[in-house]
Amino acid sequence: MGAESIQRHRESARRVREAIGGPSGDIAPDLREQVAARGGGGAPIAEPYDALAKQIGEAAYRVTDTQVEAVLSATGSERGAFEIIMAASLGAGLARWDAAIAAIEAANDAPA
Amino acid sequence: MRLPEVERGEALRSRMLIGFISAISGYRLPDAARVAFYHRDFVGRIFGGWTQSAMRGPSEWSVGERELMAAMVAEWNSNRFCRGAHRAVAVLGLEPATVDSCLADYHAAAISEQLRATLTFLEAMTRHPDMLDASHVREAMASGVSREQLTDAVAVATVFNVITRYADALDFVVPSEAELARAAGMLLKRGYG
Repeated sequence: MGAESIQRHRESARRVREAIGGPSGDIAPDLREQVAARGGGGAPIAEPYDALAKQIGEAAYRVTDTQVEAVLSATGSERGAFEIIMAASLGAGLARWDAAIAAIEAANDAPA
Repeated sequence: MRLPEVERGEALRSRMLIGFISAISGYRLPDAARVAFYHRDFVGRIFGGWTQSAMRGPSEWSVGERELMAAMVAEWNSNRFCRGAHRAVAVLGLEPATVDSCLADYHAAAISEQLRATLTFLEAMTRHPDMLDASHVREAMASGVSREQLTDAVAVATVFNVITRYADALDFVVPSEAELARAAGMLLKRGYG
């Protein structure tokens, strides 16, 4: 199981990351990728996406209706708002995956 | 904020499925399932596959332990929906008192040192990912946790660091204790696929 298990999760992470900016979304792929990066603690992006993506990344339980309504209005559809929310959430999760895997690899490479 | 299309289902087939499952199960279909049906071609199918693999795929962690990890991530992220939903599944595989003591303070809970050390790593990963380094990994592995076990646990924590966030952003309805218990049986049996 060992190495296979690690490889299986790595492949899943890669596929999820690719899907965020992939061909199956309604809104611009670049915007989805920017939102994911912001959800993972990246650089500020255009409003109203910045406020919602930052809030989802840092403390999603504090997301307000106003923040979601602003994104709904900007994207013009519920599917668009849904993509922004999912992209920010995935970005936050993948940033944690990257940090944890980097730490595991560092421990594996370096002498204790 | 709730999105009406997610609530009722986007296509006729989804709306009928939501109504049918709610009718035969006798409880409102949880929002997590409604999201899984919505705009599925975007990321839902791929992300659902990873969630199923992390939670039900091969692992040295039991299903109950992985469900407990999911509930713990929800606790750290202050997400009531996943805390309740995954506590309800965890108690089907672990002693309820053990699960509840973990949720209250896992440092003092009667669990294996491997699980405690892994939860310590997952808490750092969830709360302070920028501060994670090799020393956190060595501390976990000093308890006897293998690299593979730690990676499997990291996958669980990753998917729930995603789910807890969209659950709050989409303002998921938190079911009653009775509804959570009934839904837990279905989640244990059918998984996340």
